[in-house]
Amino acid sequence: MVFSFLRRFARNRAALVGLLLILIVIAAAIAAPFLFPRNPLRIVGRPEIWPFLTWRHPLGTDSLGRDIAAIIAHGARTTFMIGLLASLTATLIGVTVGALAAYVGGWVDEVLMRIAELFQTIPNIIFILTIVSILGQTILNITIAVGIVTWTPIARLTRAEFLSLREREFVQACRAIGTTDLKIIVREILPNALPPVVILSSLVVASAILFESAVSFLGLGDPNVASWGGLIGDGRTLIRTSWYICAVPGVAIMLTVLALNLVGDGLNDALNPRLKT
Amino acid sequence: MSSITRRRLLAGTAGIATAAAVGLPAFGQGAAPQPKRGGTLTGTWGGFEPQALFVPPGGGSSPYFTSTKIHERLLTLDNDLNFVPVLALEVTPSEDFRSYRVKLRPNVKWHDGKPLTADDIVFNALQYWKPLSAGIALKALVGAEAVDATTALLKFNAPLPEFFLKSVLAGKAGLVIPKHVYEGRDILTNPANNAPIGTGPFKFKEWVRGSHVELLRNEDYWDAPRPYLDRLVIRWWRDPASRSAAFEAGQLDLGVFNPTPAPDIKRLTDTGRFTATTLGYDNSSWVSTIEFNSRRDIVKRPDVRKAINLAIDRQFIADTIFFGRAKPAAGPIPSTNRVFFDPALKPYPFDLAQAGKLLDAAGFPKKRGGRFKVNLVAAGWFEENVKLGQYVRQALEDLDIEVDLAIPDRATSFKRIYTDYEYDIALSNNSGTVELVPEWTRFVTTDNIIKGGAFRNATGHSDPKLDDIVARLSAEVSPDKRVALAREFQANLATSLPWTALVEIQSTTIARADVRGHSLTADFLGDSWAGVWLDR
Repeated sequence: MVFSFLRRFARNRAALVGLLLILIVIAAAIAAPFLFPRNPLRIVGRPEIWPFLTWRHPLGTDSLGRDIAAIIAHGARTTFMIGLLASLTATLIGVTVGALAAYVGGWVDEVLMRIAELFQTIPNIIFILTIVSILGQTILNITIAVGIVTWTPIARLTRAEFLSLREREFVQACRAIGTTDLKIIVREILPNALPPVVILSSLVVASAILFESAVSFLGLGDPNVASWGGLIGDGRTLIRTSWYICAVPGVAIMLTVLALNLVGDGLNDALNPRLKT
Repeated sequence: MSSITRRRLLAGTAGIATAAAVGLPAFGQGAAPQPKRGGTLTGTWGGFEPQALFVPPGGGSSPYFTSTKIHERLLTLDNDLNFVPVLALEVTPSEDFRSYRVKLRPNVKWHDGKPLTADDIVFNALQYWKPLSAGIALKALVGAEAVDATTALLKFNAPLPEFFLKSVLAGKAGLVIPKHVYEGRDILTNPANNAPIGTGPFKFKEWVRGSHVELLRNEDYWDAPRPYLDRLVIRWWRDPASRSAAFEAGQLDLGVFNPTPAPDIKRLTDTGRFTATTLGYDNSSWVSTIEFNSRRDIVKRPDVRKAINLAIDRQFIADTIFFGRAKPAAGPIPSTNRVFFDPALKPYPFDLAQAGKLLDAAGFPKKRGGRFKVNLVAAGWFEENVKLGQYVRQALEDLDIEVDLAIPDRATSFKRIYTDYEYDIALSNNSGTVELVPEWTRFVTTDNIIKGGAFRNATGHSDPKLDDIVARLSAEVSPDKRVALAREFQANLATSLPWTALVEIQSTTIARADVRGHSLTADFLGDSWAGVWLDR
């Protein structure tokens, strides 16, 4: 089972490249405290040293003289933490709402779906900025905010899966032998509904990274934490002269988001039963 | 990176200017013998479109920038900090300084052809300046009357210093608006605010919202042959980088108040097609300030404040964060204020060891977890404050102080610093006139502890001695004694340190090399631009 899953995943070469990139970013995140033991936001050298000029600062320094390599490595931790936690938040809310709506049906479905629509009508980035400016600019609040705005597609997808599954024979069989609703939802329907949801969740990680970058870029990020978006925001005014300050974290974000999308595609290939051979 | 001095900038500009431009006044009328008439100039400032072209109570720099091309004042302050006449020929105090005689320039006409008379001045003084624009600064004004068609008398219930009154009249609050347009209806909602009728060198033609306002030459201007331009277009861009691009594309001729990102200034001037100057900002100097909350037990102590000031490298802030466009400040009053600044004051040296010793002596020794913990709030209204907050956090951490940094957006910054007082140390800004009362004194006097009052006394500092100095400064009529009191004011603050400046910010004007006659008054953003001409 696991083996065939891996085989199907590995058949998608692009997904393998994506996985490799993600592993590199994870390795950087894990190694950051060992490679750059000092606070990455410390000013360590002359400002605006270009990349590849000195071994002390392989990726150069930003406009204040902070080591870009250190910010990138420590920023990878921030990025992944936000991505994973936001995705987890969104998935938990989304799956719960979607499952309840579809399984219970009736007015519960109506109410929950209207709420979901309410969330969908507000532009995501504006909603996130509102939450962050009300709750305060901390990394936890940004994560929660991203989770709160990205759960709706997951809820809708879960609901659709549940709707198609809940009348199947094996579910009816469970009902017939008196299995409780909770057990049916968690043990019977959910495992079957989960594969497409997992794919979507992996894409939420990517959009969470982009949202965090946008928030930091606009200057609403957590100033106590190194992040890729914050670095781009800092370098924005220097775009005509020291463009690498924006380019280096920009490339990091682009590659990571691309990798997550490729992995999502690979997961889709591996988990989608219709593509099984 | 060394700071760019005025002199060097001027020298550089003189080199770029035509061969006729010899010596210092490169931006002056003397820069070229004969100003040329005609042409269209596109100007902007380093900010956004205003909410209305003219906002009677003030409304910030943007409406001030547009309305001052149309509305004029009685006086203006030149770059040598002398008051020069505009609509008034002279403003003279009586012997007891309780009344001032305003002699108007004859034959000045409003844009609709009606003459400017002393009745207009009486109306402005009683209906506009005192209740709306000047506020507390003119609280001593008790009456105004027209003596004849061109002479008005302003009466006060206490002696008023001449420099103070002239500063109000030449300041943001002193615009002269037409009585026949504004009388009998609410000044704030008058439709003329978006199509102003003034006496100035330019007449309003059209405002295309979201884009630009077009102004035409006033053919009946009192100061012929000025204005030299046929047309003045004020256009707004939302982003500093796009203003650089507009300069390079030839769409923008003159930008005041830091139109482009600081690193672009050198790039633009290096091409020889543009000039940059820091002249024209003395009467609206900006400083970057540090405020210590007097309600908090640790940072209310002057020795702790002194230690923190010693731990901040002001030269680094000027060179790196402001790209050399700032200089270390010796106190809250900028050194460009040649009237009141006390030259005996020197900027704090950067001395971490001394700062550590001071904290040791104050009873905060080095220990695990830091000497103590502070909340640092950097006001997010300027981009530089983001970096400044991050630098100051590191400077305090080097002193073994734990720091929780917040850089809230504009509205939240106002709320945290000036309404909720929710900070230990705040990094803010101030801009003020040469005159110290009230724009500089309002940060520290007891009567300015007003919850929610932006740029007022947020620290809660209350010192009867300081209040007394400010009260005497407000009422003293002898210029020499006022200077002495201003120095007392600065010396008092230098010891208690509730609020001081880190750096003096040098605002920059960028112009195409063929724009002449600009940056000649102490507040060029609010100048009428009558003397600006194009050497094309």
